[in-house]
Amino acid sequence: MQQHLDPDRLVLLALSEEVEEPTEIDHLEHCAGCRHEIQALRDVAEIGAETGAIRDLPAPPEHVWQAIRADVAATRAPVTGLTRHRVRRARPRWLAPVLAAAAAAVIAAAGTVGFDRFADRAPVLARATLAPLETVPPNAGGAVQVFSDGRLRIDVQNLPLTSGFHEVWLLDPDTPGKMVAVGNLPGRAEAVLTVPAGTDLNRYRLVDISDEPHDGDATHSGKSLLRGTLTK
Amino acid sequence: MNSDNELAERLRAGDETALREVYDRHGAAVLHLAQRLLGNRADAEDVTQVTFVAAWTGRDGFDPQRGTILGWLLGIARRKTVDRIRAATRDQRTTESVQVQAPAPVVEESPDRVVDRLVVADEMKRLPEEQRRTLELAFFDDLSHPQIAAVTGLPLGTVKSHIRRGMANLRRRWEVDGATTFGSRSTGPSRAL
Repeated sequence: MQQHLDPDRLVLLALSEEVEEPTEIDHLEHCAGCRHEIQALRDVAEIGAETGAIRDLPAPPEHVWQAIRADVAATRAPVTGLTRHRVRRARPRWLAPVLAAAAAAVIAAAGTVGFDRFADRAPVLARATLAPLETVPPNAGGAVQVFSDGRLRIDVQNLPLTSGFHEVWLLDPDTPGKMVAVGNLPGRAEAVLTVPAGTDLNRYRLVDISDEPHDGDATHSGKSLLRGTLTK
Repeated sequence: MNSDNELAERLRAGDETALREVYDRHGAAVLHLAQRLLGNRADAEDVTQVTFVAAWTGRDGFDPQRGTILGWLLGIARRKTVDRIRAATRDQRTTESVQVQAPAPVVEESPDRVVDRLVVADEMKRLPEEQRRTLELAFFDDLSHPQIAAVTGLPLGTVKSHIRRGMANLRRRWEVDGATTFGSRSTGPSRAL
């Protein structure tokens, strides 16, 4: 058995720049060390060739940085955190359309820019990932953040089209039928809504997005699309 | 990695501008990893956010002797991704009133591979210009060494030595920060992915 292969030679062989001589093939067959070396170099070359696709990744989004900054600021300042409010009854049904309209006005005024400005100052109290229910395409989903000033930021993707509208609810998973309406979604991916003051997020912790028909009935249609539990 | 050491020192000293620099430098890689593993942009942005916040609060835990800032961040991001997937699975279990399906598997490739690629891509950027250029011609354009010499006008011997050194640099970095060779990152919950 000849001595180990020269490291420079191993690079050439790994890159298939040159072909193994019979004596080298013989050596590689018997020498685990050289085989390991050449395999490691081949792996590196293969991974290196795959980096072409990620050479120019787009710059990370500014709104994510703003959210990081807000959280970092919150770790520095003493935070009030998730306070326990008195359990509150869901508000009378007749109020819901009025409040939904008010929420829509907030969204229209706020938009993305409004969110970024506000993310600078309000710490996140809770967040949730929204997953699709059975009847919904599996690529549908979303994310929710609730800030200490009561605003709720929601992003959704791939919601099924509706002939009505999408409504955001906070459900009490322990008491069927108990829920708080938060507002309806505009026809775009991101929205900022307001959680009614005094809502106990420890109780109304299950975020639910429903498909609501224009039937004038302000109660939940029973047709849930996405759900996710708020956690600290 | 001097710039890494300097950044790490400023981070440890509580300098928030250092966190911004880390975000500008590596935020795209963290977001890319999360998006590949979760298959969903909103979740990936959330994971990116919690990763950088965790990096900030856990900045004392970064040890430049054990790897680069990028390798450290990608390790945190993987753990946060696992947390996120578990939370989503839990959510679905609690919604008993409605029949739900298991979360759709979105991973079409090994997380280790995504990490390896990001680490090697980062090292490519750090190579001396000529080394990087010759490796790119070999990797992306699949040119032989004599062809690279012809394209670049460099002597063949120089091309060979750039390739050799470049490969050695990539390999060293991969062994330090890569997922499969760095034990602590390829064990534990990450395997669940």
